[in-house]
Amino acid sequence: MTDVESSRRQSMVVGGVLELLAAVSLVEARRLYRLRTDFVAGAVVGDDTFPMIVGVALAVLGLYMLAWARLPALEVALPRGPIRARMLAGAGLLVAYAVLVPVLGYTAATAVASVALFGAMGGYRWPVALLLGAVTTGALYLLFRVWLLQPLPSGLLGA
Amino acid sequence: MDVLAHLASGFAAALTPTNLAMAFMGSLLGTLVGVLPGLGPTAAIAILFPFTTILTPVPAIIMLAGIYYGAMYGGSTTAILLNIPGEVASVPTCLDGYPMAQQGRGGVALGISAIGSFVAGTVGVIALTFFAPLLADQALRFGPPEYFGLMVLAFTVVVSLSGASLAKGMSMAMLGYLVSLVGMGPSTAEPRFTFGYDRLMGGIDLIALVVGLFAISEVFLGLEEARTAIAARITSVLPRWADLRQAWPAILRGTGIGFLLGLLPGCSPGVTVFLAYDVEKKLARDPERFGRGAIEGVASPESANNATSSAGFIPLLALGIPASAPLAILLGGLMVYGLQPGPLLFAKNPEFVWTVIASLYIGNVILLILNLPLVGIWVRLTRVPFGILGPVILLMSFVGAYSVRNSMFDVAVSLVCGLAGYVLRKGQWPLAPLLLAYILGPLLETNLLESLSMSGGSPLIFVQRWLSLSLILAAVALLLTSLVLVRYANRRLRETAAAEMSL
Repeated sequence: MTDVESSRRQSMVVGGVLELLAAVSLVEARRLYRLRTDFVAGAVVGDDTFPMIVGVALAVLGLYMLAWARLPALEVALPRGPIRARMLAGAGLLVAYAVLVPVLGYTAATAVASVALFGAMGGYRWPVALLLGAVTTGALYLLFRVWLLQPLPSGLLGA
Repeated sequence: MDVLAHLASGFAAALTPTNLAMAFMGSLLGTLVGVLPGLGPTAAIAILFPFTTILTPVPAIIMLAGIYYGAMYGGSTTAILLNIPGEVASVPTCLDGYPMAQQGRGGVALGISAIGSFVAGTVGVIALTFFAPLLADQALRFGPPEYFGLMVLAFTVVVSLSGASLAKGMSMAMLGYLVSLVGMGPSTAEPRFTFGYDRLMGGIDLIALVVGLFAISEVFLGLEEARTAIAARITSVLPRWADLRQAWPAILRGTGIGFLLGLLPGCSPGVTVFLAYDVEKKLARDPERFGRGAIEGVASPESANNATSSAGFIPLLALGIPASAPLAILLGGLMVYGLQPGPLLFAKNPEFVWTVIASLYIGNVILLILNLPLVGIWVRLTRVPFGILGPVILLMSFVGAYSVRNSMFDVAVSLVCGLAGYVLRKGQWPLAPLLLAYILGPLLETNLLESLSMSGGSPLIFVQRWLSLSLILAAVALLLTSLVLVRYANRRLRETAAAEMSL
């Protein structure tokens, strides 16, 4: 694909997304407008005004992208091989961490997540990851629980 | 005289043990995170911001300002030693700083950078002391239409934060406005853009957004890049007399350029550093030294960077206009603490303002004292492997996003924003306009609605009042100036082969 084609395709995709967002904003503005005219007597502006302005601005911008814009041609190199695997592992572990915290509690979940992150994302061998995870969990425990007294989820295990 | 009396009371408050400790800790933590490879001031503030929320407003903002200054200095360290500019404002520093480090003069480059930053930072704060109150004195003349004009003026900053493509910057700004609309409407408290999901009624939290966009995405981008420190040891950071004599005029020129342009609300350090570097190169008798380790090539942009950053506090505190992404987060921070930067801040919260201004003087001194002797530690920190750094940042970001509202929903928002931030940054979509619009959106909306209510719906109110008309005309003038300056900075970025960075 040439630079011009790539630039046009990018502009078309972005233009489409902007038109979609504009539609969402305008539909919401219309709903709020009806509420205002039905329930607030005499108000010339209201909660619908700004969503309407943003919606119109998005629509105009989207139209410009679809019809005229030439966004700078860009070759995005997606990660491959081991780096991609480490990134996916990191992202997956973050989601798992968010699920685990309310169940296991902050400290226990952090211990599990940190070891897994050092091993799978950091690329360390598991004994090293275990050591790093223990040190990190201890440091975060001292920082947040002991020193800053942050209220963090205790979970089912109370940890 | 009034200003000096206010400043004296500010110093009295800033020198209390707690506030002094916060200034010290902020500078230390800011530098510590700022020197970590690839983490610029924006990411540093994003990561550390949540930890200030346990403090009361004054020490919290003092700490945040220290983090900001510290992170700016830390960014220079990685630019000089690793050839990695955390943000675009450090790109010119790489051009001569890294060759100096390769020649075994990394310590001198760091020393000159610290001295230049100190001089420029102090000049900027002195000007803030005397200039900002003059601007703020206009406060009584400000009604909703004038505030609306001010917000329009602030919007011109989007141009200088847009990077290579204004269309991309505008798209991101509109997205930011859209995100700012989520939650309850300002007139009737009717839920908007919540789609029946109650959790969204409180809106999208600033810290969750910032942590996701700037900190989490940074980790994933960092995984892709090989970052290695130079092997050379740093022995001394004290420049020789000959170095100082050579660098001194460049420090003064960089300070002047950075400060004067920094007063323009639409001018970020990313623009002034290139201008300062180019002026130095043009004035040099032997310009071929530049790019091969010329000390003026470090002194001038570093001074310009700090002068612009300090000057940025003037429109930030006096008008509520942030000139850069880190200042936008600081603005958000002030709002989190219930303070509204702008003309009324000086009248309503004088103790707060003057304590913060005094702490900026103190922060500059702390940084100079801290950085010269501790440079060895900072250098070692640049060698921390990303395999350790990445997980630690992610774990800290997680707590940061959770801790403001004790909400797992905010954690989920930060994860989504982290993914979005990664995708957008890969596609070179600038995040700063999104952040700016997200922060300014509610202010713009409130003042727009109040103005239109006053005028019975007529938008003519904005041009019938001379101050609001002046502000709108100033916005147009700044827009044009910014377009010229940004075009210049983008051309220079392309020339330095750093086009993947954005302003």
